[in-house]
Amino acid sequence: MTSTDFDRRRFLSTAALGGATIVGATALGGVDPDAAFAAQHQPLDPAVPSSSFVEGRVTAIEDGSLLKVAGSYGERNSVRITNATSVWKLYTVDIDAVEPGDGLYARGVAMPDGTIAADAVWVNIVNLEVVIRGIGKNRLAMGHHAGELVGRIHDDHTSASYAGGALTKDLSRIRMGQYARVLGAWRPSDGAIDLARVSVGH
Amino acid sequence: MACSNTYLWAGETTWFCCGAAWGPCASAGGGACGNCRSGSYHGAWPNASAACYSITRPDLCSGEGGIPRRGCGSVMKVVQQCSRAAVCITITDCGPRTHSFCGEATCCSGQCRTNRILDLTPAAFSAIASLNSGKTGVQIYE
Repeated sequence: MTSTDFDRRRFLSTAALGGATIVGATALGGVDPDAAFAAQHQPLDPAVPSSSFVEGRVTAIEDGSLLKVAGSYGERNSVRITNATSVWKLYTVDIDAVEPGDGLYARGVAMPDGTIAADAVWVNIVNLEVVIRGIGKNRLAMGHHAGELVGRIHDDHTSASYAGGALTKDLSRIRMGQYARVLGAWRPSDGAIDLARVSVGH
Repeated sequence: MACSNTYLWAGETTWFCCGAAWGPCASAGGGACGNCRSGSYHGAWPNASAACYSITRPDLCSGEGGIPRRGCGSVMKVVQQCSRAAVCITITDCGPRTHSFCGEATCCSGQCRTNRILDLTPAAFSAIASLNSGKTGVQIYE
């Protein structure tokens, strides 16, 4: 185990026990996920992954901080949200925004009690290959595999990138038939995608 | 090839879902190799086969024409260009569509990586970068 692994485990363990108060991003995880990962300077040992990864759907939320997760291959996990955990659901949110039925990916450290103390949780996040089929004022119709998806545009949170260009709030250059990658948050209630970023190709 | 330190390529990586999954990812399937799983350290390579190459067409982007063939089961070490966080992956799918994003660059600390030449599963991508960033610059070794 590297010193970074040890520090991270100790930090999250402390946070899981409620002993840490975090203001802003830290080198070991923080409120903003981008800042937290940008601050990571030590490589993970590829031979012995020090992080635990959880994928699945939330079945219950216990004590306001423990997510019970059913994995897509039948596995069961308990993900502990600490005051050092970043939670993303279209944007950075509190655990109050997480609901049973949500899908998630989480990264963290395994605790002795079998839970995973998370440093980052991404709720309902998707990053999909689509073809633009229709364009409305507040939505995109998108072909995905053999089906169709609705992408919901949010003025405050949706941006676009055209042919590798910088992100912009201007979505007017999206065209029918274009290939795109869309990053957003799936809505379990209706299957639509709340769009964070639409990357349109050539 | 083992997960080692021989330089192979550099560029952008994005992420994708595969295998059994929730939401729209449920339709993704096991990928070109049949065994891709979002929760495993897997990846998609644009020259996993001749058929794959004909879809991804990295040769249409300047500098990517020589990207080597690495088929199902190939192992690579992926290193984030700035943090140097690393993860070992196994190729289990074909992708990304490199030609659709020719010239796209991801930069950090004044270093830029150009063109999408790798797709990682959420497990692999989150080991080196935040999923909500969508893409990041990497160097690839084998």
